[in-house]
Amino acid sequence: MDTTQLARPALSVKSLAKSFNQRRVLDDVDFTVNRGELVVFLGANGSGKSTTLKCVAGLATPDSGSIELDGIHLADLHGRDLARARSRAAMVFQKIHLVPRRTALYNVCAGALARVTGLASFSPAFFSRELREEAMACLDRVGMADRALDKVGRLSGGQQQRVAVARALCQRASVLLADEPVSALDPHAAENIMELLATLAHDENLAVATVLHQPELAQRYADRAIGLLHGRIAFNGPVQNLGDDFLDVLYSPERIAA
Amino acid sequence: MSLHTRTRIKEQAVESTSQMIAGKTAPALPRDPHKAARRTLWITAVAVIAVLHLLAIAGTDFDPALLVDGWRGMARFISDAFPPDLSWDKVILPGLEATLVTLWIGLLGTTFSIPTALVLAVLACRTTTPHPLAYQAARSILSFFRAVPDIVFALIFVTAVGLGPFAGVLALICHNTGVMGKLWAESLEETDQGPQEALSTTGASRVQQLTHGALPLVIPQFVGLLLYRFDVNVRSSLVLGLVGAGGIGLLINQAIKSFQFDTMLTHIIIVLILIIVVDQASGFIRRKLAV
Repeated sequence: MDTTQLARPALSVKSLAKSFNQRRVLDDVDFTVNRGELVVFLGANGSGKSTTLKCVAGLATPDSGSIELDGIHLADLHGRDLARARSRAAMVFQKIHLVPRRTALYNVCAGALARVTGLASFSPAFFSRELREEAMACLDRVGMADRALDKVGRLSGGQQQRVAVARALCQRASVLLADEPVSALDPHAAENIMELLATLAHDENLAVATVLHQPELAQRYADRAIGLLHGRIAFNGPVQNLGDDFLDVLYSPERIAA
Repeated sequence: MSLHTRTRIKEQAVESTSQMIAGKTAPALPRDPHKAARRTLWITAVAVIAVLHLLAIAGTDFDPALLVDGWRGMARFISDAFPPDLSWDKVILPGLEATLVTLWIGLLGTTFSIPTALVLAVLACRTTTPHPLAYQAARSILSFFRAVPDIVFALIFVTAVGLGPFAGVLALICHNTGVMGKLWAESLEETDQGPQEALSTTGASRVQQLTHGALPLVIPQFVGLLLYRFDVNVRSSLVLGLVGAGGIGLLINQAIKSFQFDTMLTHIIIVLILIIVVDQASGFIRRKLAV
């Protein structure tokens, strides 16, 4: 990896705009996420945090604006090229979205499907040895190697979310997006997952962006916070500068909207 | 504070709360503005259903008196059937062999319709279809195969491949594709789309999203519906035998036509056992799958 690639942000979003039924959900949203950084998105329900991540992951289509992943403009690409470029950003969901009846190992392998061809596209029975070994390494990175052959449905919520992160790693993404990854977890599991995300950012040099509903978790684990208010960026800076007064404003939009 | 004042304060408090409740008069029962319209609708619906039934009774010559008068014919028929003819060589053995054919027709009719039903189900499911046109086309094909009864398919295939079980298999494949495809599409539509969506963000192709995200979630439901259809198809293949598509249905038809009602009864008993066995077996496997 050369120095220019390190200097360039892994994810760069410019003037992103999106409306649902003529209601502005995102308005001129600009931000970057660098490698080695854990950025947390804060804001009330409906402020546009999830929609921002979904636009990057391709689960929502922005009306305008540009998204750049590792220096590649997504707007220039179509079809399989776009899908491949987009796979540089992996997504982790609040509802985890693994296949409960399959083993942790096979679920992690599925993260690599964009690189898989032939019969393995149809059945996990044909996943190559190399892929399974890579998936095993990913499970090890999230501390789930000893549960590789357990069916995901038998794991706890926190363990399942770890497997989901391993699937994202197996995707070989440089950007990890997480949409409320700890909202369905108990406090202890939530701490574990936040710790894992911070480790991936700081020790493995991934660019991690996560939506959180717990400002205190953000203040403990994140490097930078982006506060969204009515689809606009209202704060973008180190979490230390995130005062209680400002958080009050962020989470009571009705009062200032009036 | 003396006890007296304390009680007074309490009384005041009680008074003020009761005043609050009394001050706020309970809202009057709301008048339902649509009450009359709803009543008219009900009366019309009941009247229409009643008229339809009167027409149906007239159209089918429905007459219980006729049944009561004709009891003698039925009694003769039943007494002719008893005791069932249990001769091994002439009745039971051919009956068992034909029952096996019936079972085979039901089995092949079910399993050989899996590929067609699966493809059409995926296309006819809103969450997995590649294009709205494919969705509409698949829905239409499924409706057609469902709407044409298997017995009509059997009559058509008999003209192509001749009398015999093969025509029955072909007929069941066609009809079962329509029914199972529809059932599968519905169960696919109801399933959690999360894993499929998650795989789409990894850059997986549509087929990969389907085979690794959506289908593994619905396999228990698909197998359950498959067993249910097997159950139904074995029963259908009995009826197909009546129109010449082989199996025990054919033997029952022959026995009735040659007035061998005791033979007919033996065959019906064999059929009864077959149906109970298939029903119990498929129910058992479905219960195992549900766990």
